[in-house]
Formats: sequence, structure tokens, C-alpha cells
Amino acid sequence: MHEMSIAVEVCRMAEAHVGRDRLANVIEVGLDVGCDAGVEVDNLEFCLEALLSNPPFGRAKPIVEQLPGDVLRMTYLELDE
Amino acid sequence: MTVRRVEIEERVLKRNEAIAAGIRDRLAADGVVAYNLVSSPGSGKTLLLERTLERLGGELEIAVIAGDVQTENDAERLANHTEKLVQAVVTGGGCHLDARQVEAALARIDLALTDLILIENVGNLVCPAGFDLGEAAKVVIFSVTEGEDKPAKYPQMFRRSRYAVLNKIDLLPHVTFDVDRAIAMAKEVNPEIRFFHTSALTGEGVDEWCDFLRSTVKG
Repeated sequence: MHEMSIAVEVCRMAEAHVGRDRLANVIEVGLDVGCDAGVEVDNLEFCLEALLSNPPFGRAKPIVEQLPGDVLRMTYLELDE
Repeated sequence: MTVRRVEIEERVLKRNEAIAAGIRDRLAADGVVAYNLVSSPGSGKTLLLERTLERLGGELEIAVIAGDVQTENDAERLANHTEKLVQAVVTGGGCHLDARQVEAALARIDLALTDLILIENVGNLVCPAGFDLGEAAKVVIFSVTEGEDKPAKYPQMFRRSRYAVLNKIDLLPHVTFDVDRAIAMAKEVNPEIRFFHTSALTGEGVDEWCDFLRSTVKG
């Protein structure tokens, strides 16, 4: 269940980038996840959906792109302002 | 209402990696070697650590950082063998140690008076693979009662471990475990992986494991 740790870190990164007050405006969180990253994508999405649909977030959705290799990175945030 | 996109392109575990890099620098500065011992539950990791401390404790200054999900049982067992024991964390359900927890544990270890740090990670062959703790290498411990296909089932762990300890070899006559097949599977995901064969219970092979540890510690 390290996917939850990763999901929490994704939320922390989002806050660091846009500030806590604007997290409710986030509608998409983009991630690249490599097939060798040791992350179960369905599980990560499940954890993120739980976190991103509750305050301080509002209605953000995780958008995960699966890639070769062991990449694990946040690629973008989309905000509706 | 306008939709705005903020480009980020940032590694998710960047913060953990940065802390791990800091740990690695600190250990190098004091000439301390650290190994991150990862395994499934029940592989005999704690007993192997006890045997290791019995053999090397008299000649090397060894600190142990023990992670456990719920109890302090392992730490209590190990405390009989070293005065430099740090219970890093009872994770309360957490499935792995991260670099921040190890950093906090290091605050209680005098690195100038330490040769070797053995980090006993949480028993789990999945999650600890993804978290760099600033160690010199990961060592995956698995036992002959577990089935020889562990390397195929948990390739990340074997890919990211430089060493493997096959433990409980005293039980080989009683189980169907195929040692050659297990090694072949491990080499398939990590051709460079080096094996040790031990029985922490009888002591077989433990000297070779300890010789290796001794050889990697700088005088």
C-alpha cells in the first residue's frame, strides 16, 4: 500500500505548487507512471480519487499516463479559475 | 471561468530522494556503510541480524535501525545484542520505511563512532523497493520455505537489491524449493545480484555473510 504514500506526496506537491487556497480549483492532476515504477496504477488512482475529492481539494481527477521504464512524476495541474 | 494548466514535471519521490542523498553524504563523510535489509515477513531476518551481531559486534561498531508495523518485538530481541539500537518507527500499518524516518533515527546514532548500520525494513517485498533510504545497497532476504518464484513475483525488489540472502537452508531437505531455479529467476531480473546462502538457525553460511559485511566496512 505504498500507493497511498505516493498519493499523499502528490497532494503535498500540488499544494506546494498552487497554494492551499487554490486546491479546490484543481480539476486535473497529471502523472506519468512507468510500468517498472513499482506502482499499481489502479491502486494509485483509487487512492488519489479518495484524496482529491475531499477538502482541501474539490473535484480534481488523477490523469495517469502509463509509460515504459521506472518514471514516476507529476506532470501538470489543471485549474478552473 | 478559465482553465489554466500548470506544467510541473517533477519526480513524485523527489523529496525522499533528496533526504536519502543527504543521508548518503553524511554516512560517506563518517565512513559508515549502511545496508537496507528487505524481505517478506518470516524470512528469518531478525534472527540473521542477531547472528550477525553476535559474530561482528565485538569487532565492529554496528547500529541497527529497526522498522516494524506494530510491535517492538524485533527491537527487543536485537537490543540483547547491541547498545546501538534505534527503533526507527512502529509504522502503525505503514508498509515501508522512508528516508525521513531513517534521517530521524540517525539523529540518535553517533556516526563518528559507528562502522556499519543495518536497517531492518518492514517485512514486505513490494513497498520498500520504491524508497531509497540512503543505503549503500539493498539486501533482499528470502527463505526456502517461501517458494522459489519470489524473484519472478517481486521483480522490483530483486532488481533493486544488489545482494540476496537465501535463508533457512537447513530446511532444504524437507521442502521442494529448487535453489538453482530461484537463483536463475533472480538473475533474470538482476544479472548482477550476488547470493549468500545461510541458515541463521544453525549458523551455516553466516560466516561468509559476515565476512562480506566486514570486507565492505572501511578500516
